[in-house]
Amino acid sequence: MARRELISGPNFSGRSGALMALLHDRTFAPESFYIGPYSEAALSGLSSTIADEIELYGAMATSFRRVPFSLLDVAAFSAREPQTLSGGEQVLLALHCFSLSGYEALAIDTALEQLDQANRDAALDYLDPRRKLVESVALIDNRLPPPVRGWTCRERSADTIDFACDPRRAVADLPRHQAPAIAIRGLGFAYRQGKEIFHAVDLALAGGAAYRLAGPNGAGKTTLLKLLVGVLAPGAGELKLGGEPYRPWRQGNRAIALATQNPDHQWCGATLRDDLARRRSAFARWVDPGLLADARMEALAAALGIHSLDARLYELPLAARKRLSWLWPLSGALPWVMFDEPSIGQDFDTRAQLAAAIGRLTALGYGVLFVTHDDDFASRIPHHVLVIGERQVKALPSPSGLQPPAASRDPRE
Amino acid sequence: MTPNGAFTLGFILIALGMAVPGPRGEAVLLVLTLAFAAIEVRGASLIALRRAAVVVLPLAAFMGVVWVGIVGESPYQIAAESAGTRAAALAYVATLCGRLFFIVAVIQLVFLRFAKLTPLQIIRALALPATVKRVLVITLSLIGTLRHAIDRAHIALIAAGTLTRSPSLRNIIHSWRLIQAVWLSAITIMVGRMRDKWPVENTIARLDDTLANANPAWFSGDDRIWLPLSLGAAVVILVADRIGGAL
Repeated sequence: MARRELISGPNFSGRSGALMALLHDRTFAPESFYIGPYSEAALSGLSSTIADEIELYGAMATSFRRVPFSLLDVAAFSAREPQTLSGGEQVLLALHCFSLSGYEALAIDTALEQLDQANRDAALDYLDPRRKLVESVALIDNRLPPPVRGWTCRERSADTIDFACDPRRAVADLPRHQAPAIAIRGLGFAYRQGKEIFHAVDLALAGGAAYRLAGPNGAGKTTLLKLLVGVLAPGAGELKLGGEPYRPWRQGNRAIALATQNPDHQWCGATLRDDLARRRSAFARWVDPGLLADARMEALAAALGIHSLDARLYELPLAARKRLSWLWPLSGALPWVMFDEPSIGQDFDTRAQLAAAIGRLTALGYGVLFVTHDDDFASRIPHHVLVIGERQVKALPSPSGLQPPAASRDPRE
Repeated sequence: MTPNGAFTLGFILIALGMAVPGPRGEAVLLVLTLAFAAIEVRGASLIALRRAAVVVLPLAAFMGVVWVGIVGESPYQIAAESAGTRAAALAYVATLCGRLFFIVAVIQLVFLRFAKLTPLQIIRALALPATVKRVLVITLSLIGTLRHAIDRAHIALIAAGTLTRSPSLRNIIHSWRLIQAVWLSAITIMVGRMRDKWPVENTIARLDDTLANANPAWFSGDDRIWLPLSLGAAVVILVADRIGGAL
């Protein structure tokens, strides 16, 4: 019998534990396919190429066949390593593999939050019990508030909230700042043996403003952030920071605090203290030491739910690591802050508080660039929209160019 | 040609190269290898040569500096306590690096013969016990995990201003931080995979089924030409320089 289980509730209310308990309940399904929030929990890790990942799961199916879920251009990507796909594309690949496999049930832990709206709608439609394409599904999704038609909703609650956080407190005492403008001229970039992502892109980003990078999964949003912090080097074009040439890939990043989509892509130490010490040492020449003092960092960490700088980063729960990944941008140490999908895996209250904190950074004069597929989250931050597509980055034409903050409405109501 | 046949042929070629045949034997070995490259690998053979050069040339340059430039005599001359010459040292370096070049090139040729197959398809096509195939898949998985961890650690340390993407003194000074970050990332990736994904899906057991279901034949098609040919050539190569002017 087809089952649909939506597990909802705030972070740290035991949603993931409840999901796992359900998967070990043989009345739900003998075995389930699991798509977790990041690549190590979405992909098998046993495949060197995307074709292998598909073959691995496809070969597992013997007589079982269902309608394939095929939103990813598998033929174009088949020789690439699965890890080189964007987060959203990895989720699409995992859904494709599930659809070819013999697993009767599918479990998804917040992974659909990485999909753009069109892909997300298609995925939810595929899982819709009325379509009868998938037998049983268990889902955690912060952007799908219950009740949902056809789904059994299991609401979790927490008596005491571990890792309670309020990002607004982290930026409450920040001084004003004047972020220098970023100018991009003729930017070109292509991955080795891959398609061209950017071609002759011209873009001007002013300090004291927030920009939302929008575009479909795999368009190049994260790639643009990596170019700006110097993780990637452009094939053509130049960057200017405050009117001066800026080559972070050669000189090192000195202006941008990045919170990565997967928080584990940003730690440079085993403990928070190690991590901060290394950042402090790298940016000593450009940052006011008072902003990076231990006492202030401890207070910032506490505002994000972590009460000791000696916390071992890799031993914290994923949602707590995600929150802690905002610490460096919210510290105000660097004039530009960039957030890659900051709201993934976060409950409604935390998303709203983070949006308020980002809005305050903008008001204080910091430059903000953020990537999100969460329209509700974005609507809470006054921002300009930059759309990536067809190798270009275009400012969305609108009368004012600025998206006003939406009236704060809880979609759960 | 099957992967079994190609790997067996590659093993025979490398073993013969290691057997240190004389000049005639080496000529026969070279002809056999070139025939395999031209018939089975074709244009991609140049890629194999280029990759072998990339691997061996730095080592050759280093050995050249040490043995020819600094020591000035070959290890055989040192062992024999005879007068050393730079020419002998150069011959020693050339022989050693030439042999290494040959081995790397043969390995590349064998893999390039199946460039259109994915790694999993090659492993499934090998006539080996499922356990050995599983070890191969997991070894590739570990290599992939380490590469992924290196990528993650680079992102973290470059974004944090510790390293630069381009070569720099800063990268050398902080290389130990990169190593630490790579290991922490690798462990996190493995733990994430083994804690959630694999137990829920029973992935490894499913992998075993996938590998066991392949049932490939040991040798077929062109294997039946190449393998007898290479075994016959092996006899010639091993005896060619021992029977004087017979050849």
